[in-house]
Amino acid sequence: MASSETTRTTHKGSLMKKSDMQKRLFVLIAVWPCFIGYLLFNLYPNIVSVYYSLIDWNGISEAKFVGLSNFVSMFQDVFVWRALYHNLILILTIPVLTVYISLILAYLLINKGYLEVKLYRILFFIPNILAVIVITLLWSFIYDGSYGILNGLLKIIGIDMKEYYWLGDRSTALWALLPPLIWSGVGLYVVIFMNAMKSIPPSLYEAAVLEGASHTTRLFKITIPLLSPIIRVGVLFISLGVFKGFEFMLILTNGGPSGSTDVIGLYMFSMAFGSTSHNYGYASAIGMFLFVILIAVKLITDRIGSKESLEY
Amino acid sequence: MKVNERTIGDLLWRIILLLWALTIIVPLLWVLYESLKTNQEFFADVWALPRKWAWVNYKKAWVSYELGSTMLNTLYYVGASLVLGTFLTTINAYALVRLQFKGRQLIWSMIMLSLFLPGINALIPQYVLMRDLHMLNSLTGLILLDSLGESVFFLMLLGGFMQSLPKELEESAFMDGASLFQTFMRIIVPLSTPGIVTVAIFKFLGLYNNFLGPFIYLSDAKKHTIGVKMYHANQIMQYKSDLVTLFAGVTIAMLPTLILYIVFQKKIAEGATLGAVKG
Repeated sequence: MASSETTRTTHKGSLMKKSDMQKRLFVLIAVWPCFIGYLLFNLYPNIVSVYYSLIDWNGISEAKFVGLSNFVSMFQDVFVWRALYHNLILILTIPVLTVYISLILAYLLINKGYLEVKLYRILFFIPNILAVIVITLLWSFIYDGSYGILNGLLKIIGIDMKEYYWLGDRSTALWALLPPLIWSGVGLYVVIFMNAMKSIPPSLYEAAVLEGASHTTRLFKITIPLLSPIIRVGVLFISLGVFKGFEFMLILTNGGPSGSTDVIGLYMFSMAFGSTSHNYGYASAIGMFLFVILIAVKLITDRIGSKESLEY
Repeated sequence: MKVNERTIGDLLWRIILLLWALTIIVPLLWVLYESLKTNQEFFADVWALPRKWAWVNYKKAWVSYELGSTMLNTLYYVGASLVLGTFLTTINAYALVRLQFKGRQLIWSMIMLSLFLPGINALIPQYVLMRDLHMLNSLTGLILLDSLGESVFFLMLLGGFMQSLPKELEESAFMDGASLFQTFMRIIVPLSTPGIVTVAIFKFLGLYNNFLGPFIYLSDAKKHTIGVKMYHANQIMQYKSDLVTLFAGVTIAMLPTLILYIVFQKKIAEGATLGAVKG
């Protein structure tokens, strides 16, 4: 009796051991490739970038530790401030415009039973699935001076721009970047806001309708306040994107003409990977500065929005 | 709720909707029909419709931009990253959500840390790392870079799916003597298919539309994927004005994602919403 008891426990023990081994092996395959990839390709470069910002290095030469001197020259670099000024213009315009256009379009698509609404719901998202290269090339066709769509349309309504290159002139280049940046982002937020609007109980609107509130009043007094948490997330994402993003500028203008569309991300990128410059240390210092800015943007957006969060 | 007073206001709203729709339709249709004209026709009158559809532009684009080999590169990069990445993300989500093992909490918190890393400052060290690993100018290197790693968004999406499955399913499979791997493949994967499809669609869009990665890491023209190839095709256009061919190339470049969108329109709209919720 006693002996059979012991055999049973050892049998059970070996079974446990077997399934334990199996579990370890499974975890090894399931968890570690992703996690090691994350440590190696993501976390490690992020940590090392702090060290990079303190050295003078072109990628080939012996790295030389220079302390904070990259940061000192960065703060004296007029091109850094010029680029940041352009970022400032973009961050004051793009998030607000993107969110407002998306809110209005979403509201119309949800609350107005027009015939064409079904088609629009599908159509409006298309810019979001197009590749950056496709979007930028489409807009370069729109803005071209000799054959561009924009000048063609303006001519039809009687404004002859001659051979005006919208992206080739210092005075319009940065502003001309706003439409593609907004255009390519709106579709996503239309979908997000539409879904959020669907979850607002109709009873809230019914009361307002009885009191004779117009659609505009309903949108601004009921819909937008109720959506404020999700609007805040949207503004945060777009703002972070504005500071991080530089692909549109890289492809459309490469920062030109004469630096009028240079943004901080692009300046950092061309410092490191540009055709003339391989200044890894200096570029990393700009990257660290950008990191701090992005954290600040996140904190500021959280602070501004959190006051007015409503429940229903 | 149907309170549709047809008024002047309605007309205005409909015009606003139509205008936004036109900003999307006009450029796309314009590129499409310009791509079917000859260069002479195009420069003679930009807005005129093509007299005879010049499908030859597509052949020219295919040959002169080497789109055959470019598409093969793209297929390899996107396909391999998609399969490897989706498999690893799925099995990773399962292990992290449903299994108890040592270090699980630590791994989760390290992954959450990634939400605070903007990534842009890591661009240079990442490049140096890839160089030291001899993975520059290598499609396989780029595949590893893009498929090994953690994505909080995808883990949450799949994890949420798997958490909603009853535990008894796995337990009974286990009783029947199935190994963990078998349980995963035969029970978890089929039941999580809707989530896995969403992840795969978004991975596809991200990979196919990825410009910066291939631009930084694939400098050899033979390795170019579609985005980088079209970038260089456009650069050349400054010296040689064969625009109709460029239009044909752009049209080819946008077809794969457009088709994917038409097929999976509902799923893409759903997935896009989930992305915002994680905030």
